[in-house]
Amino acid sequence: MSGRVACLLVPDLPLAAELRASPEARGRPLVIVSAPGARAFVVSASPEARARGARVGASCVHARAACADLHVHVASPALERAARETLLDAALCFSPRVAAAPPAAGAFAAEASVFLDASGIGTRFRSEEAFASALGARAASLGLPAVVCVAGSQEIARLAARRLALDGEAGRVLVVPPGSEARFLAPLPVDLLDPGDGLASSLTRFGIRTVGDLVRLPARALATRLGPEAPRLLARVRGEGREPPLPHHRETRCAEALDLEHPIDRLEPLGFVLRGLLSRLVDRLEARGLACGPLALELALEGGRRDARRIGVAAATNETRTLLRLVSLALEQRPPEAPVVSVSLGTRGRPGRRDQLDLFRPAGPAPAELSRTLAELEALCGEGRVGAPALRDEHRPDAFALEPFSVQAAAHGAPDAARGAPDEPREADAGAHPRPVARLGVRALRPPRPAQVTAPGGCPQWVRSRVATGRVVSRSGPWRTTGGWWSPDERHAFDHWDVETSDGALVRLRHDRISHRWEIDGIYD
Amino acid sequence: MRFSPRVSPRAGGSGAPVGACGAASPVAASAGSDRALATLLRDLGPRLRRGSAPPEEPVARDPVGLPAVDRLLGGGVPRGRLVEIAGPPSSGRTALALGWLARLTRAGEFAAVVDPADALDPPSAAGAGVVLPRVLWVRAPGLPEALRATERLIDARGFALVLLDLDASDAEAASDAPARGTRADAARADVRDAAWLRLARAAASARTSLLLLSTHRRAGTFSDLALELRPSGARFSTAPALLEGLESRAVLVRNRLGPPGQESPWVLSA
Repeated sequence: MSGRVACLLVPDLPLAAELRASPEARGRPLVIVSAPGARAFVVSASPEARARGARVGASCVHARAACADLHVHVASPALERAARETLLDAALCFSPRVAAAPPAAGAFAAEASVFLDASGIGTRFRSEEAFASALGARAASLGLPAVVCVAGSQEIARLAARRLALDGEAGRVLVVPPGSEARFLAPLPVDLLDPGDGLASSLTRFGIRTVGDLVRLPARALATRLGPEAPRLLARVRGEGREPPLPHHRETRCAEALDLEHPIDRLEPLGFVLRGLLSRLVDRLEARGLACGPLALELALEGGRRDARRIGVAAATNETRTLLRLVSLALEQRPPEAPVVSVSLGTRGRPGRRDQLDLFRPAGPAPAELSRTLAELEALCGEGRVGAPALRDEHRPDAFALEPFSVQAAAHGAPDAARGAPDEPREADAGAHPRPVARLGVRALRPPRPAQVTAPGGCPQWVRSRVATGRVVSRSGPWRTTGGWWSPDERHAFDHWDVETSDGALVRLRHDRISHRWEIDGIYD
Repeated sequence: MRFSPRVSPRAGGSGAPVGACGAASPVAASAGSDRALATLLRDLGPRLRRGSAPPEEPVARDPVGLPAVDRLLGGGVPRGRLVEIAGPPSSGRTALALGWLARLTRAGEFAAVVDPADALDPPSAAGAGVVLPRVLWVRAPGLPEALRATERLIDARGFALVLLDLDASDAEAASDAPARGTRADAARADVRDAAWLRLARAAASARTSLLLLSTHRRAGTFSDLALELRPSGARFSTAPALLEGLESRAVLVRNRLGPPGQESPWVLSA
């Protein structure tokens, strides 16, 4: 079987997008209006609202008059944009060759549909119906109940999906078997082709009501009588039109956004909004087998200003609680300068951690658990304070880097006993003075503690500081370190001393030759 | 608990068994118990067995890599226990901890260092043989964050060792210590006992060793093993004057798995 296309269609996107963001509104009479205020008109109505008299195109006042307990939400372009992307994500769970359908007009302006390549799908599913059901279920799990149709071309799949959507029941599937397209299309109303107002009235006047009626007419005569639009319509249903091939979709960026009906000027209610956005974002990433990387938070503020910030995530994770904590911390550290009117949260999905276990090494922390742990630790301790220490190839004192901690990198890139490690400790001789068996460690003091030092001739004799105080019992040095002369910020020149004071402390003392100050930057321990 | 059919003759003080009624003598009571036991054994037959204490699991030990200390600890530090190393600055606590870290990371294990003092010196750790990519360094901004990070790391499972360095300010702590009470009391006051108990239980459950580094013992009775280090002084060569090392003594002041009170001298080289 070749040349099969599936169409995933949401007939009323504004309503579906709103219900996706506010699932508690399901089953209630709900209308989406074009703008805030009483003069706005209804752009979408839930079945419950329609049953109580609310009509699309009516004013908000009329809708409220028809239904007293009507819930009115203002249409959010950001929410609809996110819903369209979610539909694409649902399709990407099944095929990499995916494309959003061009926007429709007229009676189908509210619909959103996605095409995906369904060729050879029988190797994964026992039938095309099973595939279509799985696709519909995936879209529903992402909060978008949709109809799914599989046919030989994009146009026929979309027409079939529209036909199914007219029945008003989301979640249904339809498969048009190869070779039976003409028989399937013939009884469909010609309005499903969205012919435009002028052409639609002409077709009605000519008595052409079904696709079958249209297909039987000669193209040349149709063009003469109904204009150039009619033959194009005919070519679409005959399958003569050229459809663009479905491209490979490689984009891993996901974004969720919401336009707020009322500006928010406190962090707590903003947290509720962010929780919803993160939850939906994570659902989408999980559906595609991705995990959340660094977040891009963009806030539209009152007065037209924007507040964009990047929030680091130590390890890709899909823990909503952890991500919310990271975002909350970022906002607490630097709250928005004005009330927030719109929120957008995006990320570039990263592959979940995969690791090949080694039979001969300790397994270490589980990758998924480690991701959660790292993200939580960074939320707890702050950005840039969690990672694997690494040495830097420079002579500046206390030069080190903090690199992302990764079990995989550590397992495959880290040296074993053969490299970079001292010899094994030696056993002490019984009865004799114990020989050196271990390396002396250093406790760094960050920042270095200032010290008052009596140093006649530059040689320290007496030290007074909060770390060590007393007469210098033993010393060695000085060991000179200089560098960074090319940059005022990096320029340094120190004389280091190893000093033992009379109070028993063994410290690393240094004399800054630029500022002429004495400091203790480490304790031998 | 071991099943014992006999009543202790010392119970009751005057020789009368506890719970014995009337004027029955201890000998008569003992004979009655034996008869009752014999009857029970006869009636129940092979279904009745003498109970015994559950066999203790052998304790896995991680050598810290220093023979003198390993010998003191009976072969190494028991895995999954709360271990304390306490001592004044320049007593060798960091060297001991780095030695243990080096031993574990070179064996392919992963370890974490929770460091509210921000005192880890990566060049020094690398010099001690620690495989740095296998160490997760958490530079916690304060004690509460450090404790929470420690608990989270233990819960993550998979880290062989979590090192909690509470030697926050060394001698600075002394100047800030309250006037009344001992320094040890002051040190313990900032962390509730429940926190140590929770950490000790979590470590045992996750089989992750928790090493506490401080100037004074902090976990009290909740630690399974406590080493106190007592510095003997630094060693400098004479000509030229170079720092050669540090002498110290390790005293095992608490040991749940063996006798405490032993001590061993050891030397650190620069």
